[in-house]
Amino acid sequence: MSIPWSQTLRALASGTAALLLASCGGHAGSSNHDILITAAKPDRLFVIDAGSRSITHEYRIPGADGWLGGIVLSPDGRIAYVLVNHMESIAGIELSSGKQVFRADLSAPGERVKCLFAFDVSPDGKELVVYENPTQLKADEYVVEEPRFAVFATNAGLEAKAARTYPAPRRVHMILSKQDGKSFYALGFELYEYAFGDGKLLEQRGIRSWDHPGHSIPDLLAVWPVTEGTGEFVTPIYSNATVPGGPAGGVPTTSLMTLDLKNGALTYQDFEPTAALIFSAVGSPVRKEAFGVYSALTKVDTAQGKLAKRVNLDHTYYAVNLSTDGSEVYIGGAMCDVGFYDAITLEKKGNLRLPGCPDQALATLRVIHHP
Amino acid sequence: MKHLLLRCLVLLGPAFALPALAAPPDPSAVRAHCSGCHRESSPGHFDRISDMRKTPEGWEMTLFRMHQVHGVVLDDDARTQVLRYLTSVGGLAPAEAAPARFALERRPNVQDLSLGDEMGVMCGRCHSLARAALQRRDAPEWLKLAHTHVGQWPTLEYQQSGRDRFWWESATKELPAKLAALYPLDTPAWRKWSAGTHASPVGRWLVWGHAPGRGDYHGTAVIAARGTDGYSATYTLTYADGTALNGTSKSVVYTGYEWRGSATLGQDDVREVYALSEDGARLSGRWFVNGHAEVGGDWHAARAEGAPAVFAVLPRALRAGAATEVVVVGRGLGTSPAFGAGVTASAVKALPDGLHATLAVAADAAPGVRPVTAGGARNADAAVVYAKIDRVVIEPQYGIARVGGGKVAPVIGQFEAVGYIDAAGKPGGIALGPLPASWSVAPHDEQAKAAEDVKFTGTMDASGKFLPAVAGPDPQRPFSGNNVGDLAVIGTVKDGDRSVSGKAHLVVTVQRWNTPPIY
Repeated sequence: MSIPWSQTLRALASGTAALLLASCGGHAGSSNHDILITAAKPDRLFVIDAGSRSITHEYRIPGADGWLGGIVLSPDGRIAYVLVNHMESIAGIELSSGKQVFRADLSAPGERVKCLFAFDVSPDGKELVVYENPTQLKADEYVVEEPRFAVFATNAGLEAKAARTYPAPRRVHMILSKQDGKSFYALGFELYEYAFGDGKLLEQRGIRSWDHPGHSIPDLLAVWPVTEGTGEFVTPIYSNATVPGGPAGGVPTTSLMTLDLKNGALTYQDFEPTAALIFSAVGSPVRKEAFGVYSALTKVDTAQGKLAKRVNLDHTYYAVNLSTDGSEVYIGGAMCDVGFYDAITLEKKGNLRLPGCPDQALATLRVIHHP
Repeated sequence: MKHLLLRCLVLLGPAFALPALAAPPDPSAVRAHCSGCHRESSPGHFDRISDMRKTPEGWEMTLFRMHQVHGVVLDDDARTQVLRYLTSVGGLAPAEAAPARFALERRPNVQDLSLGDEMGVMCGRCHSLARAALQRRDAPEWLKLAHTHVGQWPTLEYQQSGRDRFWWESATKELPAKLAALYPLDTPAWRKWSAGTHASPVGRWLVWGHAPGRGDYHGTAVIAARGTDGYSATYTLTYADGTALNGTSKSVVYTGYEWRGSATLGQDDVREVYALSEDGARLSGRWFVNGHAEVGGDWHAARAEGAPAVFAVLPRALRAGAATEVVVVGRGLGTSPAFGAGVTASAVKALPDGLHATLAVAADAAPGVRPVTAGGARNADAAVVYAKIDRVVIEPQYGIARVGGGKVAPVIGQFEAVGYIDAAGKPGGIALGPLPASWSVAPHDEQAKAAEDVKFTGTMDASGKFLPAVAGPDPQRPFSGNNVGDLAVIGTVKDGDRSVSGKAHLVVTVQRWNTPPIY
């Protein structure tokens, strides 16, 4: 698949844009009780009250070593599991106190283990399944080993060791627990479903071998496992679609892949010839809509499979989420602010700049609803 | 045959009989600093180290990585000794390095090697293919390099240039044997070269070259031995406009032919990447400014002693109906250079590197390539007579510049307007060389126009040099975007009362954060 150079580069080049907007406090008239969680380099974890656009807690994650990435929440919203230490550790931070209550350091002497973004907690909150990419460090060579899934008990404390491991395919970038707690999905070359208990491969469905006639092998890599509002994972997926009378190589096309974690339903829906990059997406709990973000905020009408609205942003954001009532879009990642947008009009409603302008980089923007 | 050989030896002169000053390979520094991890599995054979061959730059990158990733600390002496040993026992023969020397010479805007689709996607998406082509390993060691790639950079399989394929499978199952077939460790060329005695660069040299945007230069170099294993050089050079380009250099010759010098040349501190020809008669390559590898010049040198020879005419293009001041670089040129019918030389003056002459070119002198003879020597295509410039081609046709700022210097874009005349039997015409031109930039396409790329990306100076803008978010641009863009470069050459223009494409792009000696 190819996106015109200039479009790609312009979009990428905007990723370092500075943000001079100040915090807009005093969001009035909202019944919004959402709490947002984000993280920023080198080691900061933020708890944000979405309604008042204010930070309620700021914590330091021990041993982050300057790098942090994905955030996964415990089902009760008490603990944030954060990938830190250059993908080699997962820290569980209690959100009420900032205390580290869980720690899995994946590497060991002679073996460096990286978690390539993919980890999730089981629906009962008792286990954490982590995708591990191990490399043997020998005196004068690296020996790349086969990847594996490692399952940790979340009550294993600060020196957690895997309770069990089982083989995994290469190049998995996301793990999503199915809501029945019996299995989890791994996204990589294909969509794999594994039994939580014994790691048995239950099913393998298309991503690379997707059943989407007239489309090339697609490209998919989103590392923001946002599902809390709907129980569905929605992500952009790119391919070249054959169009009657169109160019020989096909037309670059953006589709949405939706995986329902309640029942495993998997759908692909085209919605536009690729006109803007989208890094991550989220579905709406109240309307047949999805929202995607990068240097523009995109709203997709998923009932009709078409672009509903798009607005350019001040700079690039990687992460997107939606308020529990579906009225507000939250955007974060990439730089040092969280943006608040009206889900109907895509009008900017507010902005919260993180103190010191730290780099959120790949951090997931998560939502916890407090009724 | 014997007679010919003797004659050649006589012609080559005494400098060629001297062996290079390189000391015999001494493994003690490698034994002291590397064998802690790289086991000396048999005397002088260090695991992994002895299983590959590279250029001096390749080994420098290895030492850099050993320092940065594995904490190896070498002082300057130890580093030099280690580098000498590695390049002596694990270098590339001249013929092996030749196809990819452009990468060592850091030539900007060159076309990379073409090694087929598979190599293109597996290696060429991140590296120049020259980088692979400048290494020699057997299949097991190429396999270990695949492990190094993913072991050290585990996101490799995930990034856009890797994830569209079963990268690891290809890299470990198919590619090692293919790379080993293309670039094996043990080759006849290396066996022969590493067993041979190599020429010394010591002596007097005639020098000529071209610095894009600045012009032709010429003069002499004197190279002397420095210490036990290095060289020093003194340059007495002049640009075509008379500006001095003098300098001095300190160099080391690795692998028996790889001249690497640190020099001052005119106002600049430069790096010299030259190759001594296998017969020791030529020293050629490119010099470039420290910190701005894209700024530099071609370098040609030939021994000052030897049989008469015409090496170059500067400038090469002679306009019919005009008088042109030229320098002929060569040896034993005498006082009567000849450029063919309709060209008359006068005011011939001897120079240390050849001669200077004023050429009167008749208005009806036949256009085309002219052989040049002087002192009994002949160069079949040293000059071109032209009556009219038929075309101007801007070089490079496709160029890259990079915005700069902070710790990363900008990468400038240097363009030249090369004139051509049409000629029967020569489909591409005959090149006249770079000609003086006036310069401008314009939007490359509608998108560039809408984004006002001309306004934001930088400025073009009078010498065809594009100076990129400062990097970083620009609040005046959409998305606070960087000052990147897409430009057309237009160069216009005056040809009597006419103007002839050419156009090229310039992409002004983002900084390159990782700038190793071999991309």
